[in-house]
Order: sequence, then structure tokens, then C-alpha cells
Amino acid sequence: MAFNYKQEYERYKRYYQSLEPALTKPASRAYTAIIFSFLVISLFSWYAIRPTMQTIFTLKREITDKTDLDKKMEDKISALIEAQAAYQNVEPDLPLIHEALPVNSDAVRAARQLQGLAAETHVAVTHISILTVPLTGDSGTGTQPKSAPDTVLDFPVSLSVSGAYPDVKNFIMGIHNVRRIMHITSMTFSPVRESGAVASGSATPSGTQIKLDLKLEVFYLSSSS
Amino acid sequence: MKLSSLTERNDRDLVLISVFTFFTVTLWVFFEVIKTVKTTTVTPQVTQTIVPLSPTIDFDVLQTIAGKKVY
Repeated sequence: MAFNYKQEYERYKRYYQSLEPALTKPASRAYTAIIFSFLVISLFSWYAIRPTMQTIFTLKREITDKTDLDKKMEDKISALIEAQAAYQNVEPDLPLIHEALPVNSDAVRAARQLQGLAAETHVAVTHISILTVPLTGDSGTGTQPKSAPDTVLDFPVSLSVSGAYPDVKNFIMGIHNVRRIMHITSMTFSPVRESGAVASGSATPSGTQIKLDLKLEVFYLSSSS
Repeated sequence: MKLSSLTERNDRDLVLISVFTFFTVTLWVFFEVIKTVKTTTVTPQVTQTIVPLSPTIDFDVLQTIAGKKVY
């Protein structure tokens, strides 16, 4: 059915006409103006002002961040250049660091160090055991967490030596003076009973044989490569 | 009820709705701008790259190590 606007107009005319006096009133006109103003401002705030403000403040923030980043990058580049120069200075000494903290467990070398120290301090090594030797650098057995790159790990070494009191003392002091980094976790002293030994009156007689049981932690640097 | 008083009451309601809409939108825009200002644009990878580096090397430690014995 076609839309007959004349008939529809006649039908709803009284509603249109009743609105007319209300819209001509100053109070209604003021209200309408206020309502539409607020709605238009809200609409434009949401669809125009908000994206613009966001863009402005994002760009400002980006400029601040990039300026700060640039400064920090320059500082880091300078620090890297200085570090490179310092590294070149110490490069001849790097083997010392590898001897102190090798990149794998290198347990045989550690045992050799202890034997060499024992020979120098005139104590007899009666027992040496390395309980678990990690063959690769990334599987520590000690107290350190496992397999993080550049992490210092350790393996336990159990050692028994016997000798005269001053020699044993020198041996203990010598452990701290070995280049390979070791840490004494426990030590137990016990006198060595020998048949036919003559008792001495001294509190720490130099002739008395002492047996020393040591537990050590030997450190190395984990390496995933 | 007269039509004029009904219209006036409706007008007041509409004014209130439009004012509340305006304040809601204004506050929303304000907080979005605050969020934009506070949010950094630097990615975590770049933040990790610019971690400061100390270029000093403790030479005393090297001398101490050099003074220790090797068997």
C-alpha cells in the first residue's frame, strides 16, 4: 500500500500542532539549546577530541621516552667503549680467571692442586674422593641452582690428610691460597694413634700426628656451550 | 496534567541526562589521556638493552688471583 502523506498528515496534525506552542516558549528553547549543546559536546568529545588528545599525548610520551632512551643508549655505548678498553687491558690476565674459576668442573685439576699443596706442606693424603663430577658445565650438584648461564656452581670434594700439627695447619691455610676457588664446608681433626708413640707434655706438640677430614666445595662457572 | 508542565519536566530530565552524559564522557576522556601519559612506549626488549653497564674492572681481584699459588 502506497504511503499517502496527506492522509497521514491529517491524522497526526494535532500532535504536531500541540508541539508548536511548547517550542515557541523561551524556557523550552533554552532547555533545548542546553540539551543539544551538552549532547553535541559529548559526541564530539568522544569521537573527535578523545582520539586527538590521545594522539597528542602518545606522541609527547613517545618523544619523552625516545629522548630518555637516546641518552641511556649513549651512556651505554660510552660504557661499552670503556669496558672494551678495560677488557683489552686485562686480556693477558684472563687465564688467571679461568684458572680460578674454570668454565667446566675440571675436577682432576682441582685434585692435582690439593695433592700439590699436600706435597708442599708435607702432609700425607690418605683419602680423596670427588663424589659427583659434572662432566658438562651446566649440571651442578652443589647448592647452586641448575643450568642458568653464567652461574657459579660447585661440586663437593672429600679429603683426608694426616701429618704433624704445623703441617696440617699450613695445609689448611694453603687451601685459601690456592688459585682455584675452594671453600671448606667442614673439617674434623682426630689424633693418629701410633703404637710406641711417646707422650709429650706440650699442648700442641709438633710431633703429634693429626688426621684431618675435610669437606670442600670447589667452584666453577657453568657454561651451556 | 497540562502539556506545558509535562514538557517542562521532560526538559529537566533531558537536561540532567545530557549533563550526566557530558560529565561521563569528559571523565572517560580524562582518564584515557591519563592512561596514555602513564603508559610507556618503550618495549621490554629495549628496556633490557639499555640496562646500565659498569665498565670498571676490579684490578685488585686480578692481583689477588695472580698472587695465589698453582700446583
